[in-house]
Amino acid sequence: MTPHSPGTEQIDTLLWIGFVAATILAVAVIGGLLYALRSYRAERGAEPRQLTGGRRIQLRVAAVLGAFALVLFVLSVSFTDKAEETPATGPIGLRAADSEPLKILTTGQQWLWRYDYPNEAFSYYKLVVPVDTAVELDLVSTDVVHTWDVPELAGKRDAVPGKTNRVVFRADEEGTYFGQAATLSGQAYAAMRTAVEVVSPAEYEAFIEGSKEDIQAAQDRVVGLIKKGETP
Amino acid sequence: MSAPSKGPELVIDGFPPRRARWVELATSADHKDLGRILVAGALGFLFIAVVELLLMRLQLAIPENTFLDPVTFNRMLSLYGATAVFLCALPLALGFFYYVTPLQIGARGTALPRLGQTGTWLFIAGAAVLYSGFLFTPTEAGVNPLPPLSGLAFLPDNGVDAWAAATGLATLGFVLIAIDLVATLRRLRAPGMAWRRLPAFSWAAAICSWLLLAIGPVMLAAIAMLLIDRNFDGIFFAGDAGGSPLLWQHLSWIFYTGAYMLILIFAFGALAEILPVSAGKPLFNRGAVIGSLAAIAVVGTLAWMQNMFTAPIGIGWMYYAMVMSLALIVPFGLVFFNLIATLIGGAIQLRAPLLFAAGAIVVIAVGLTAELGHAMVALGWRLQHTTDSTAATHFALVGGGVFGGFAALHWWFPKMTGRTMGETLARASFWTMLVGMLVAFVPLFFTGGGEGEVIDAYKFFNGTGVSGYNLIATIGSFVLAAGIVMTLANALLSREGGAPAGHDAWGGDSLEWFALSPPEPHNFDVLPDVRSARPLRDIRDAIAHRGERAERPASESQPVA
Repeated sequence: MTPHSPGTEQIDTLLWIGFVAATILAVAVIGGLLYALRSYRAERGAEPRQLTGGRRIQLRVAAVLGAFALVLFVLSVSFTDKAEETPATGPIGLRAADSEPLKILTTGQQWLWRYDYPNEAFSYYKLVVPVDTAVELDLVSTDVVHTWDVPELAGKRDAVPGKTNRVVFRADEEGTYFGQAATLSGQAYAAMRTAVEVVSPAEYEAFIEGSKEDIQAAQDRVVGLIKKGETP
Repeated sequence: MSAPSKGPELVIDGFPPRRARWVELATSADHKDLGRILVAGALGFLFIAVVELLLMRLQLAIPENTFLDPVTFNRMLSLYGATAVFLCALPLALGFFYYVTPLQIGARGTALPRLGQTGTWLFIAGAAVLYSGFLFTPTEAGVNPLPPLSGLAFLPDNGVDAWAAATGLATLGFVLIAIDLVATLRRLRAPGMAWRRLPAFSWAAAICSWLLLAIGPVMLAAIAMLLIDRNFDGIFFAGDAGGSPLLWQHLSWIFYTGAYMLILIFAFGALAEILPVSAGKPLFNRGAVIGSLAAIAVVGTLAWMQNMFTAPIGIGWMYYAMVMSLALIVPFGLVFFNLIATLIGGAIQLRAPLLFAAGAIVVIAVGLTAELGHAMVALGWRLQHTTDSTAATHFALVGGGVFGGFAALHWWFPKMTGRTMGETLARASFWTMLVGMLVAFVPLFFTGGGEGEVIDAYKFFNGTGVSGYNLIATIGSFVLAAGIVMTLANALLSREGGAPAGHDAWGGDSLEWFALSPPEPHNFDVLPDVRSARPLRDIRDAIAHRGERAERPASESQPVA
């Protein structure tokens, strides 16, 4: 999985740090255990030494482990802070009037994501965003807890009823990125997927206009049918 | 002057059993009977949990499988979670604590036996409620039934109510057993059995009992709120009416995180008995091991928000949880270090219990180090809610509950039954389980951490890069299941057919090996004076040196005061 946003690049680095740290600790424990089991069998005929331990070795081991934990903590905080930052919109991104990120209201509902764009257009399942542009998703839910997760673009976050959660990213390459809801939300949970289509700013504007026209046309048609006394 | 007695004085040796064996067992308040009921029940539910896991793994063997429909899958998932935690891991740990601790401290019973009896039968009642729910509509709300999904609006049938009643009854039972253990450990230690001489496993029992007294009522409160929300129009978890769905997450994660620590402390406590005796050495740095176990109970439980990094809580809370989680590196590391240092320089007898104990160390080490990534906040956003967390949790808890639990089972089986479990079958079972564990769960690290496959999903899609891994994991889960069934069969067969074990099967250090195998109802006829942390070794030494002492010249002997 290749990271495609400044935040996920930080997470990707942290993944390798975590992997190395976990490997060091696991290898130390398992290696020490196998060494002890191989080397000190009763068959070698030596009397077991009745050692009860010592304060000094204990403090040394604790100090090494504590230092290890401290290093991991400092690294985690620094990478997490960077991953949390709202990125600035890049040079080829959508030129907004101010430097605010493009805000899109993202609503989780059983079992579909709805995206409301700033200018009254909306879409289901597919989120269209301009490339190289800072995007902020405001996550809300109308029913149960859902988790929005497109791992190439951002860390996952929950949409909880009554609360607003936040996801920020800046996609660095045009293309489609897939994601899947990540908290059990009922029967069709596994099919609750989403796709983020990253396009050029011009295509994004066209998509917004087009969907606004489509929505307007559909509404006009319904209103027309109702006026004629038919059920839409 | 009293009247002379009418007949000869009647002297009898014990009372003949008055009722059928099962009636005696069902009405017993003896900690050994209740401990055996808990352990046997837990092993039975282990088998059921394995069957449920296999059904889910079969569904996940190939992409877009239709073996189980989504509703059935979610029911399996929910039952599996409740069974594994509430009906298997916790009663297994408590069963061994309840059986062994009074023997280890030289007590003739427990302080509040009726409380322990009530607790054991509440656990059975909980199990009955959960699985009678199976007859109508089991819950579909998942391992941790988060509101609002577990609310009346989304799951209106009574499956969630059955789940809440079942886990509530079982948790209440565990709390009652913990009260009995706390009272027993405080009041009924044998003369000389100071806290500083208490065996490590009894220390683990004390720590876990206090931990349960802290976390059990939290879960009971959450369950009560859930039942009120569902049945009496409560609003505890209703976000739009003044409550909060996050309240459930906080309360339930306090319990689940504490229970996770409890299972690991139980396993480490058992290992701290098995490793020293198998190596013929005392536990290395005893005080540090016991202190670390206590630290794990406290700090580990305080890390509950580590499970909520994706929830809408402030980043400060996430850093707080990360401090607690990463701080656990020190006590867990010290326990591992001292357990391994206990083996160094020893004379190791590699019998079945030590084999399972070593397996527990390996599997727990993989699980806990994998959890590291989930504790590092930004990485948690990537790894949590993926199959990576399934794998990490299973490595830690199967390592503690099943490998550690089986180590305890092989270790204390001779005490419980008077017979040893078959060594050949035990070895075959161990290697099958270890291979199965690695093949079943290592692939899930790759699907979750690498490809982002989400947790709890009833199917995965073609072309997401996880098909091969999932097939391997399904094959591995069958191997793991075969290994587990071998040990369960071994236990069943060895109850009657195992080799007679003698009263001190392993050359143990602690007082349970001073009792008969199986122990008399009153545990001990006489008790030795406890003068060290290894009272039985003192007795063996005294017997070995008895002759020398008798031959000492009078000039060397102590003057009689």
